[in-house]
Amino acid sequence: MSAPVVTARNLGKAIGRKAILHDITVEVQPGSVVGIIGKNGAGKSTLMDVLLGFSPASSGSSHVFGHDSFTLPGEVRGRIGFVPQQDELVSMLNGRQHVDMTAALLGRWNRELTDRLQRAWGLPMDRHVQKLSGGERQKLSILLALGHEPDLLVLDEPVAALDPIARRQFLQELLLIAGSPGRTVLFSTHIVSDLERVADQIWMVREGTVVWAGPLDELKESVVRLSITARQRLPADLPVPGVVSASVQGHRANAVVSGWNEAALPGLRETLDADVEVELLSLEDLFVELHS
Amino acid sequence: MHDSPTLRIFTLQPSSGIPIYRQLIDQVRRLVASGQLAPGTELPSVREVAAEYTVNPTTISKAYSLLEGEGLLQRNRGKPMTIAGGRQKSGSLPQRLRQVEAQVDALVLAARQLDLSSPDLCDFIAKKMGEES
Repeated sequence: MSAPVVTARNLGKAIGRKAILHDITVEVQPGSVVGIIGKNGAGKSTLMDVLLGFSPASSGSSHVFGHDSFTLPGEVRGRIGFVPQQDELVSMLNGRQHVDMTAALLGRWNRELTDRLQRAWGLPMDRHVQKLSGGERQKLSILLALGHEPDLLVLDEPVAALDPIARRQFLQELLLIAGSPGRTVLFSTHIVSDLERVADQIWMVREGTVVWAGPLDELKESVVRLSITARQRLPADLPVPGVVSASVQGHRANAVVSGWNEAALPGLRETLDADVEVELLSLEDLFVELHS
Repeated sequence: MHDSPTLRIFTLQPSSGIPIYRQLIDQVRRLVASGQLAPGTELPSVREVAAEYTVNPTTISKAYSLLEGEGLLQRNRGKPMTIAGGRQKSGSLPQRLRQVEAQVDALVLAARQLDLSSPDLCDFIAKKMGEES
């Protein structure tokens, strides 16, 4: 396996006495698309800020391309593209001026790419940012983060203001990047169905720490809902390993279990003397179940 | 680039609980078992499927690799993958039935909860499949 693009070891962040992040250990492999999900205030944005070195860690360490996040050399910064949740556009400048400035600043720029995106996304480049809609501002921010073809693209809630068509166009662009060897994407969104399309890795952030990190497929296959119909009354405390939540009523029960293994099914049917139906959960249901 | 004629043969639902790569594997298996994908049929490329359905290319190539491992698909240098020919024919009846077992289990559970009899259910299935019962 090649060297990870981003690593965090026991990463923590406190502001004053308040711990925002604690004990986060994660890795991002080159070529992956990592989707970050978590409730509002779970710490997703702070995590991205600290990983990219916009704000220092209070404990532990984090690295990008092998360099300490907080002291990234300029040439490493140049390999990163970032779309913040609140855009950093200048209201008195138009889109074209933003592109020219960013291109001059970064020294390399793929004009063909940004011209194509601007046409495909119907972005008015001669209009002052102040006159742009929320969705247009977001498109411009994304375009500015893509133009220098970064090896690592980090996006914090990039699609919140986009309509479904624009979101789909953006996702397709993201997939083109995902299909190019060695390019890596890290992004957070509340639109879980988007993550299911484009992410191959999921980080679930809860109360300042990453409670689950791994392949999306693995997550879907390991957390399932069981519908149990027994011949006898079922005990309130179900003898099923890995129960996250359960409701038992007489002969029937529903249980969400984590760490599920299909091979355990025949044994479970026998132990419970019951029909056991396994239902795989959508990421949205998984998210809700794991937060209940 | 022209689209492969088989590009729209799949139905992929990213929001389903079933991982996309497993949906694709199940569908290829079924279509091969029934003979609807005959040996030698070209499959759309990973890129084409990923773009058509707006899904991560990694998940498509994972499915293709697993199917290749099973001997169901054949990788051809510089050309589209094809349905493998030769030894495997369309599956036997028990083999094909096993591939709908999970769905039937779910159906049986729902039918029991609704207190439907087996003949009623069979009639209904036959009607849905367009056969005279």
